[in-house]
Amino acid sequence: MTLYPLMLVARRHLMHNTFRTAVSVTGVAIGVTFMIMLSALMTGFEKKFVTETVESTPHITIYDEKRQTTDEFASWLSDTTGGVTTVENAQPRQTPRRIAQPLQIVEMLRKLPEVQAAAPNVIGTAIISFGSRERGVGLQGIEPESQEAVNEINKYIEDGQIFDLYSSGGAMLLGGGVAENLGVRKGDLVTIKLRGGESRSLRVVGIFRTGITTIDYSRAYTLITVAQQLLGLGRDVNQIVVRLRDYTTAREAATRIEAMIRYRTESWQEANENFLAIFVIQQTITYLVTGGILIVAAFGILNILIMLVMEKLPEIAMLKSMGYTRGDITLTFFMEGIAIGLTGVVTGCVMGYYLTVAVGALPIPMKGLIQSEHLTMNNAPGLYVVAGIAALVVTMLASVIPALRAGKLDPVETLRGHA
Amino acid sequence: MQTQRKHEKGRTVIELRGVVKVLGEGETAFEALKGIDLRITQGEFCAVVGPSGSGKSTLMYLLGALDRPTRGEILIEGANIAGLDDRGLAQVRNSKLGFIFQFHYLMPELTALENVMMPMFRAGTGLHEASQRADELLSELGLGEKAHRPPGRLSGGEQQRVAIARALANQPLVVLGDEPTGNLDTQNADKVFAIFERLVKEQNQTIVVVTHDLDMAARTQRIIRIVDGRIMDDGPTQEVLERHKAQAMARND
Repeated sequence: MTLYPLMLVARRHLMHNTFRTAVSVTGVAIGVTFMIMLSALMTGFEKKFVTETVESTPHITIYDEKRQTTDEFASWLSDTTGGVTTVENAQPRQTPRRIAQPLQIVEMLRKLPEVQAAAPNVIGTAIISFGSRERGVGLQGIEPESQEAVNEINKYIEDGQIFDLYSSGGAMLLGGGVAENLGVRKGDLVTIKLRGGESRSLRVVGIFRTGITTIDYSRAYTLITVAQQLLGLGRDVNQIVVRLRDYTTAREAATRIEAMIRYRTESWQEANENFLAIFVIQQTITYLVTGGILIVAAFGILNILIMLVMEKLPEIAMLKSMGYTRGDITLTFFMEGIAIGLTGVVTGCVMGYYLTVAVGALPIPMKGLIQSEHLTMNNAPGLYVVAGIAALVVTMLASVIPALRAGKLDPVETLRGHA
Repeated sequence: MQTQRKHEKGRTVIELRGVVKVLGEGETAFEALKGIDLRITQGEFCAVVGPSGSGKSTLMYLLGALDRPTRGEILIEGANIAGLDDRGLAQVRNSKLGFIFQFHYLMPELTALENVMMPMFRAGTGLHEASQRADELLSELGLGEKAHRPPGRLSGGEQQRVAIARALANQPLVVLGDEPTGNLDTQNADKVFAIFERLVKEQNQTIVVVTHDLDMAARTQRIIRIVDGRIMDDGPTQEVLERHKAQAMARND
């Protein structure tokens, strides 16, 4: 029953000066709104990047390199010769590199429980020429069926099918960016020339756009047999790609696989390390900015509650003379702060939702790391929970100080001042 | 129980034994009260008078359990409150005492009725019961029709009557008034004293008021005169007033 009068007083205090209450509620609401919108924007961008990356690139890539460093070689030399050896100007061998026994490795990988699919690739740097224009691309020889199981290509092809690669006379799929640069359209015949000197004509049977700029502007797919022939690899391959059941475990899986097969194995995170690092910085900035907004809002609450307490000195003295305790008074002003905070959070969540939707609807074509027509907003419930809790915690901290001050006030001092 | 207690006329309700109160600290410290012994009995209507700075307000805050004495004992119904913690004092104020101040100190955001209900809520009285009693009290004081108005829409005299109703809300052992008519015109001041007189007469209510208005003090039954932190005179109103007049005349001659 004692809570009822405290709530009554708290409510009337807030309702009495609605303008002042509204201002402080707005402060919190704006903080929450921007926190939601900004984190939706930032995580949206990251999520889109990650999703597109894990959809359109392999989770794990195995390269035709042994992870052997110069130092290892030097120590091996020292061990054999028994002296001190340094290796300078080390260079990789000129012979074409390859992964030995690729089929056995692929079979073994497919049997691992965390692996969903694995496919052999042949990759090489090539120059595509169309008329007088030339562009360098990363040519990737694939087996359409097994490759599709590793990373989706088919759904990004604008006109055509991944299986069109089987059409007779040699076919290729070209990234949208490269096609634009060359002025190539579907059905055109282009010349592809490998660094080694081999060249051949291939028909463009489809153009794909993944939305990831680095892929769309630099990649071409062809059949694995065509690539093997062009690179002179025979039946060998120089890359194996893997899709995992859970892409988040790629780092650990890559380490395990590398330990088994001794070839350099890279997870998608490792391949995109620089971008992922940017996201960490980006998130930090987001939370710093929104945290700043919330702290400003908290000072608003602090300010208003301190003013309210100063204004209500006689009432506080009166309440104490009636038998209300220090705790009762503290609780009353604390509840006022919390009420402001809660109202601000609810308003902010509603406003944040609409702002997020509105910003997501803005036509902002992006060409950068990823391509998109709009800003990608991650309008996830979790963000609202985080923003709401953050705002409430800050509100509580801001309310505690004036509330405790109000509770501590000595009624006698107030009464003497007035007498 | 409550009503029975009120009829026991002559029973000691508050007793002060050797109460000293030091105000301030260090070099500015001074004894506002220099050893007060006082006994107030059930149904008494007392006035505490004295020049300003005499310590009468300090005495009031001690009687009202708003403050603790530096030395000495304050017994309310025989129990010493000097050693109680904040919660304990708050409990005493809520259940045993009713305050009326010079400035009414009503909550401007609450209606008259809600203001009167506040002490009852603290005591744990239910909403329905509290509202009924508050309504009765306000009606007795002639404010029945204005119970749902906020204080801002009541006159000064009406506001002070709401404050009286609030002081009476928990059927206090003692009603304490700190210059309760200090801020009112003569007509309203007269009304307030008429209410006090009625409470004393009809309900045997104990009332202690601090006042510097001798005309008002003349309407009480007992006057306690304080000068420089000591009780200079204490006795039935007529006797004290006559002694006071005699002294004043002696000084003039």
